[in-house]
Amino acid sequence: MPLLANLLFVTTALGYVAAGALFFAHLRSGGAKLSGWAARTLAASIASHVVFLVADALSGRAPLATVHQTLDFLSLLIAVGFLASMRRHRLPVLGAFITPVTLLLFLAAALRGPVARVPEGVRSLLLPFHIVVNVLGLAAFALAFAVAVAYVIQEQLLRKRQVGGVFQRLPALDVLDSLGFRLVTIGFPLFTLGVVTGSIWAARLGNGLSFSTGQGFAVLAWLFFASVLLSRAAGGWSGRRAAIGTMLGFLCAMAAIGGYVLRGVGG
Amino acid sequence: MSGKLMVFGLSYRTAPLPVRERLAVGAERVPSDLLELVQEAGLHEGVLLSTCNRVELVATSDDPDKSTQAALAYFNARVAPEQVDGCVYRYVGQEAARHLFRVASGLDSMVLGEPQILGQVKEAFAVAQRTGTVGTLLGRSFERGFSVAKRVRSETAVAAGNVSVSSIACDLAEKIFGELTDRRVLIVGAGKMSEVAARSLTARGARLFVVNRSPERAQALAQACGGQARPLEALATELAEADVVISSTAKQDYIITYELMQGVCKMRRHRPIFLIDIAVPRDIDPRVDSLRNVFLYDMDDLQKVSRENMAARERAVVDAEQMIEAELTELDRWLRAVELTPTIVALRERVRSVLRAELDKTLPKLGVADKERRALEAMCEAMANKLLHQPLTALKQNQTGHDGVELVEAVQRLFLLQVDPSARPSGQPSAVHDSTLAAAASSPADGAGPKA
Repeated sequence: MPLLANLLFVTTALGYVAAGALFFAHLRSGGAKLSGWAARTLAASIASHVVFLVADALSGRAPLATVHQTLDFLSLLIAVGFLASMRRHRLPVLGAFITPVTLLLFLAAALRGPVARVPEGVRSLLLPFHIVVNVLGLAAFALAFAVAVAYVIQEQLLRKRQVGGVFQRLPALDVLDSLGFRLVTIGFPLFTLGVVTGSIWAARLGNGLSFSTGQGFAVLAWLFFASVLLSRAAGGWSGRRAAIGTMLGFLCAMAAIGGYVLRGVGG
Repeated sequence: MSGKLMVFGLSYRTAPLPVRERLAVGAERVPSDLLELVQEAGLHEGVLLSTCNRVELVATSDDPDKSTQAALAYFNARVAPEQVDGCVYRYVGQEAARHLFRVASGLDSMVLGEPQILGQVKEAFAVAQRTGTVGTLLGRSFERGFSVAKRVRSETAVAAGNVSVSSIACDLAEKIFGELTDRRVLIVGAGKMSEVAARSLTARGARLFVVNRSPERAQALAQACGGQARPLEALATELAEADVVISSTAKQDYIITYELMQGVCKMRRHRPIFLIDIAVPRDIDPRVDSLRNVFLYDMDDLQKVSRENMAARERAVVDAEQMIEAELTELDRWLRAVELTPTIVALRERVRSVLRAELDKTLPKLGVADKERRALEAMCEAMANKLLHQPLTALKQNQTGHDGVELVEAVQRLFLLQVDPSARPSGQPSAVHDSTLAAAASSPADGAGPKA
């Protein structure tokens, strides 16, 4: 990576770390000033991130061509999505859970192994479509994951009768539950398309029905999210189980991507 | 002549309820009592604060001792003297301002940080304004009091977190369900305790249902709180529909058993439910708390939350006291500024008028020409300015020092100054009853604690 890109990378990463720390401090001790500074820091990190991606694209790499760039873009999308929804839902405390997810994905994107070229014969419009729907779906799931973590913590505090500071600052259980559900509802159809196109892709590559571990995790993630939606439809408000299902689903999806990142192939 | 801020009265800290209730002044009687007090106690200004926990007169007076005696007589007229003796306290000067700020901020309240007192102080002040017994000093003091009380409420934890069991229950319900609008609240057992909680829940938009062994009492409570009564046999189906349940029956064993709740959970497809058991002995089997999406709080849990919130408020008192001290310093600075200007004007006027009188007496005897006369006049003017230069500089320089007030008072007494309050800096309205503001912030030694 050239110097400028390196510099932008470090700036962005440190920005996310600082924003996360500020959001966490806001969760711990409250105060509108802290959340304001956290949001400003996050906005600055996003700006730095955008410049980093633009510089990367200008250096000759086609955007979204590798799984790393896809992760990069995914982490940006999560941060932007949170910042935009934060204003509307007044939930700055969730930044304490969302910013770390963004940071991890951003750092994972930097783990650049040998990049396998996609064989000429199987290139088609299916590939960018597969990537775009997956990124959008995963961004929604990442936000749902952060909301689910907040739900589990909030319920635990209520059960332990620790209803002071952090409990007061986190949103109501019902708010977290329905927000998580809405995010899973948005992410699910996109992710489903991603899994389907991925399977077609795998079939074209000639693997037939033999699943790789990554594909296995992707299907497992899909099953978790499907069960979250089903239990909601059956029970109205699903609570802790749905939150844990969402968390497991997102972790499986990350495991699926993790396999590709480490091997440097896939899309 | 000087008007000092003073507070005279009694509160729950010093006086038992029988004394307080006999002294409490009904809202309609406050204006007439206030006017009477102002006249008889020789006050410049006065505000009468009467709540169930305190009766206080906040006033400005030239002679706080004399005013105290008159106010005491007013108190004694309502309650036998031997009962009031030992119950009253008096604060003067900065101590009085500090007391006023503490009261308005809820630091002196029975329930630390309770919000009603600020509204009561504002109302008492508004009544006094309408009655015409508020001037510059009280106006400024109360205005600063309201401002610091607002900051204490918003910037410290003194008023944070609920401490009453029923508001804690409502607060928890909101932290589970978000908005309570159209949520179903089920009251089991129509006791007085559940009525308080029911009222605060319906005030937030919840719908109310009452189940009770005696249908008449269920009906009565339902009507009083705008809800519907249901027969006791319908308990299980009502539980299946409810979001929040408040139970307070006099039954000896559990009315909501683990087995009943298990069935209810299936009926409601595990939608969350918040159970509040305020009965002793308990109405709800504590094991139901382990069921999925069932949250149970009993009296001990609620009281534990209350104690924690109260402890957090008490920890914040130090911050609140600091804010009050800062505000007192500001008020003191203002007092010194407004009392200094009229004193300077009066001192200049006094010196000039003496010189003028002497000139007028002497010049006709000398029979000097106009030119010499003007020269002598100019000389006198210059002498006055030279003589006054040093004392005026000292007054201005010591304005913010600890002996600034004493210096101003000394000048007023040495030169027998009749200070004109209208000669203060522009923008300061003049006080009613010609209240002068000089030395309103008296030495702290004047502030007496509870006075026997």
